[in-house]
Amino acid sequence: MRFLDPAVPVIVQGATGHVGQRHTLSMKGYGTKIVGGVSSRTDTEIDGVPLFRTCAEAVKATAAKTSVLFVPPLHTLAAMQEAMSAGISTLVTLAEGIPVHDALKARRMTCDAGVTWIGGSTPGLAIPGKMKLGFLPSISLAPGKLGVMAKSGTLSYEVCHRLVSRGFGQSIWVGVGGDSVKGMRFSDLFPAFNADAGTEAIVVIGEIGGSEEEELASTMREAEDSKPVYALIAGASAREGVVMGHAGAMIEGHVGTVESKARALRDAGAQVFHRIQDLVNAIAADHPH
Amino acid sequence: MMLLEHDAKELLRVRGLPVPEAILVRTADAPFAPLAAPVVVKAQVPVGGRGKAGGIAICQTDAEAREALARILTMSIKGHAVRACRLEAPVAHRAEAYLSFMVDAANANVRIMMSANGGVDIESQNTRPFSTSAEAEPAALRAAADALMKQLPETLREAVANATSPLVEAFIALEATLLEINPLFITAADAYVIGDCKLVLDDNAYERNAAFAGIMERQRDLYPEMAFKLENGFDYVELDPQGVIGLITTGAGLSMQLVDELTARGLKPFNFCDIRTGGFRGKPDRLIDILQRMAAGPNIRVALINFFAGSTDLAEIARLLLIALDRVPQFKAPMVARMIGNNYDAARAILAAAGDPVRVESDLDKAIALAIASASGVVS
Repeated sequence: MRFLDPAVPVIVQGATGHVGQRHTLSMKGYGTKIVGGVSSRTDTEIDGVPLFRTCAEAVKATAAKTSVLFVPPLHTLAAMQEAMSAGISTLVTLAEGIPVHDALKARRMTCDAGVTWIGGSTPGLAIPGKMKLGFLPSISLAPGKLGVMAKSGTLSYEVCHRLVSRGFGQSIWVGVGGDSVKGMRFSDLFPAFNADAGTEAIVVIGEIGGSEEEELASTMREAEDSKPVYALIAGASAREGVVMGHAGAMIEGHVGTVESKARALRDAGAQVFHRIQDLVNAIAADHPH
Repeated sequence: MMLLEHDAKELLRVRGLPVPEAILVRTADAPFAPLAAPVVVKAQVPVGGRGKAGGIAICQTDAEAREALARILTMSIKGHAVRACRLEAPVAHRAEAYLSFMVDAANANVRIMMSANGGVDIESQNTRPFSTSAEAEPAALRAAADALMKQLPETLREAVANATSPLVEAFIALEATLLEINPLFITAADAYVIGDCKLVLDDNAYERNAAFAGIMERQRDLYPEMAFKLENGFDYVELDPQGVIGLITTGAGLSMQLVDELTARGLKPFNFCDIRTGGFRGKPDRLIDILQRMAAGPNIRVALINFFAGSTDLAEIARLLLIALDRVPQFKAPMVARMIGNNYDAARAILAAAGDPVRVESDLDKAIALAIASASGVVS
């Protein structure tokens, strides 16, 4: 997958906002090939990162193919359209709270154009030691052999922090985000993770709501061979009809429950856990150093 | 947010769809006018299965309706207190169909479902609804619905066809994620009437959705979680008013997982929250608000903080926590704070200098153990 290539030049839309600026510099400091920022401000650069008024100007000057968007949720769809018109082929949208009907349009638009979209409501993705698109915390990142895909940012920070402290780092870490309608889903990522030579096992951090875990289970069943999959599903104690923080995390009738997800994943060969430490211990037991 | 049936139906009525005459009442002694028996008394909670739970009563006399109202208003259905009832005129009908539109997240489409046999057991009946999906765009949805309708018995098609177009428009205009009409009453004159309606609006579109804002203005008391989020900018759900452990946590997924882990250990959490430390902006308001709520919990024995700070400054959080504790002296239970990340040592020093009003621990499982020990009265 091209979006996992650290050599691809990256621009940041919304690079001069309070949060955008801090993380633009932090990504660059981590080694990400940040080649420019897009902002309506008239400055020409921030700490050595050249600024452009539009995506088109930025792409023309830098040949960027990836854009990281620190853009407010109600403006994300328009910013994605601007980036795609400029020739960007990978979009990482970090905003939490993109309207669902906008996300429907964005998903269709990116699929039709063959553009990769990660987000929204995600801390982003990383190849530890090489690049970071977004703001996954350093305390949880370390190079290693686990491919991590997660709906929740904070829960993945916790799980990966515990794994790292036991000596298990990541080959790839992608936050797919907590929204129901989104860009890449677990099942879209699985083939790349499964084929990746640097990945020995896959960690899936799911939660109640939607059907993404069930979709992943059917993709796993269709695969000829699957690397070991360790899944954690949050939300066992959630009530039906109540949104638990994430827009996508709501049980509706029998759909979206922990039981349904755990059953589907187990049937597909995954080990499923409900406590963080049980998942960490199982990985440590199966993969002795 | 899932609307209560009453608000969902009134939104449809405003858009010109036929909805039974009804009123919303919050107290058992409220006047029924202009309605009169026979009436259907319906509990207003944002979950299905109200009928099976005893939350719906068909009443032939005003006295029966009074009695049903008094009973239902004290109920709690699937954890949701009944704060209001909709009193509705019964609808004479010859058939009950089913019609729904739902965002299909996996395919970035809208799924349309139809059945000639609506009713309470639509999910479990042998005759599953017919289903198709189309792009979230009015013309595409209308065309897909028209094609699907050919599978319905001819006797229902005209009425369902008349319902489809205004429902598609409502789904798009209201930025709904679910619009389910079950049953869709078909009358002897081949007209349709909205029987029951489940409508979920997209919280993320709230700012640009005037109909949604109108409901939150008129009925704020009926949607405590959404009202809370609008006022405070973060998520809070009271899980169990009798809960023994209050939670002050950030991050939706990790907070949900923490509730699970505590529940699995036999401890009853009072609340769920995602306080979003990143949005404090130097103010202790969110902490003060949540401490006040916990101070009102009759059985709270301990508060557990969990802040995994990716980029938030923990020293700043520690300072704000001290201010909040000072402002809410009525909160007296012990506190355990799991903090990890940015500026942890400084945060710890700040709390130590203030006489350690909070036990700080950087490992989550150890913090949980400390909280459990506090809750069970074991001094450690």
